[in-house]
Amino acid sequence: MYRFLRHFFFPHETNNHRAKALHPDTMLVYILLLALFNFGFRYVHRQYPSILGYATDIRLSELLNLTNKKRAGLGLSELRLNAKLSEAAAKKASDMFSHNYWSHTSPEGKTPWTFVISSGYQYTMAGENLAKNFSNSSGVVEAWMASSTHRDNIIKPGYRDIGFAIVNGILNGEETTLVVEIFGASNKEEMIAQKPVPLSSGVSTEALGDQTPLIFFGAPSQEASKSFINSLTSVIQKPLINIPTMTRDIVFIFLGLLIGILIIDGFVVSKKRIVRVAGHNLAHIMFFLAISIALLLVKRGVLL
Amino acid sequence: MKKRWIPIINFIVLGIILSSTVLLFYGSRGNTSMQVLIGILLSVLYVTWGIIHHAMKGDLHPKVVVEYLLVGAIAITLIITVVWM
Repeated sequence: MYRFLRHFFFPHETNNHRAKALHPDTMLVYILLLALFNFGFRYVHRQYPSILGYATDIRLSELLNLTNKKRAGLGLSELRLNAKLSEAAAKKASDMFSHNYWSHTSPEGKTPWTFVISSGYQYTMAGENLAKNFSNSSGVVEAWMASSTHRDNIIKPGYRDIGFAIVNGILNGEETTLVVEIFGASNKEEMIAQKPVPLSSGVSTEALGDQTPLIFFGAPSQEASKSFINSLTSVIQKPLINIPTMTRDIVFIFLGLLIGILIIDGFVVSKKRIVRVAGHNLAHIMFFLAISIALLLVKRGVLL
Repeated sequence: MKKRWIPIINFIVLGIILSSTVLLFYGSRGNTSMQVLIGILLSVLYVTWGIIHHAMKGDLHPKVVVEYLLVGAIAITLIITVVWM
């Protein structure tokens, strides 16, 4: 065991004075293992999403409470959940999935206001916040508050009503949890939505089945429309293994080990004054540290 | 220029390459395809830097080139793993 560890991690005669872990053939094995890990994860996720998936817990009730808390903190009035604005948000989400776009304006030129008007809300002012791939409600609201343009919408004193749609689907080939938040103010007294449906009736990925075009918006009856809107009040997924966490753990452990081995290898070689044909350890360490910093900056949640 | 300054200048250049591409990477948050492209660019620049550095030092060997290529490939695989997972 000791010999194996020495051979693998330390420069020695047995490994031509270069830790075996840094030999080209071993590096090739790393690349193959990482590729296998990538494909394996994707395959298992497709086959068994309840085991390996994206942990998500976003609920309308929490989004509404958190948004109103932020407003209350600034002495602003609470926003009322509005059924028509929620319908507009649902239509917008459906349009984004069915036309595969991530933008405030659709490829056909439909603006958020198109959906607001078609839902029967006569606005004097309106706004839209979008978010995708966040794992929880507070993450969404905090990210919106950290972005000046989204924050402006949340704390605009003129808004009176708000509507949400939280939907899971496939956007640009990627499993996506979309949050559409539409704000509005109207001269007319608008219909206030009923209380959000109990959390247990929230839609999960499993419930949405294939997740592609979510809804048919032909001419739904008022009841059907209402029940549809109620069905978009949360996305809750609790897989056994959360893909982003698992991936990060594996990648950072690997990077840490690699940097550690490079440090030990460089230290031993420099101490023993060994002359060998090899790349520069310090450069590799700098490079992998830069990669680590870049990967630490990767966030799944995106705003628009 | 004195020869002993060359490695120092090379490492300063490497530092600039790494920090500027990491900043670019940060600037393209939310655009996963762009982040992967920047990751590939970072790796290509690193391999190029490695080859030039060893050529200037006078110890460029095919084994060294292969090592830099593999290090670059590992980095690209890691970036794809995290960004596209």
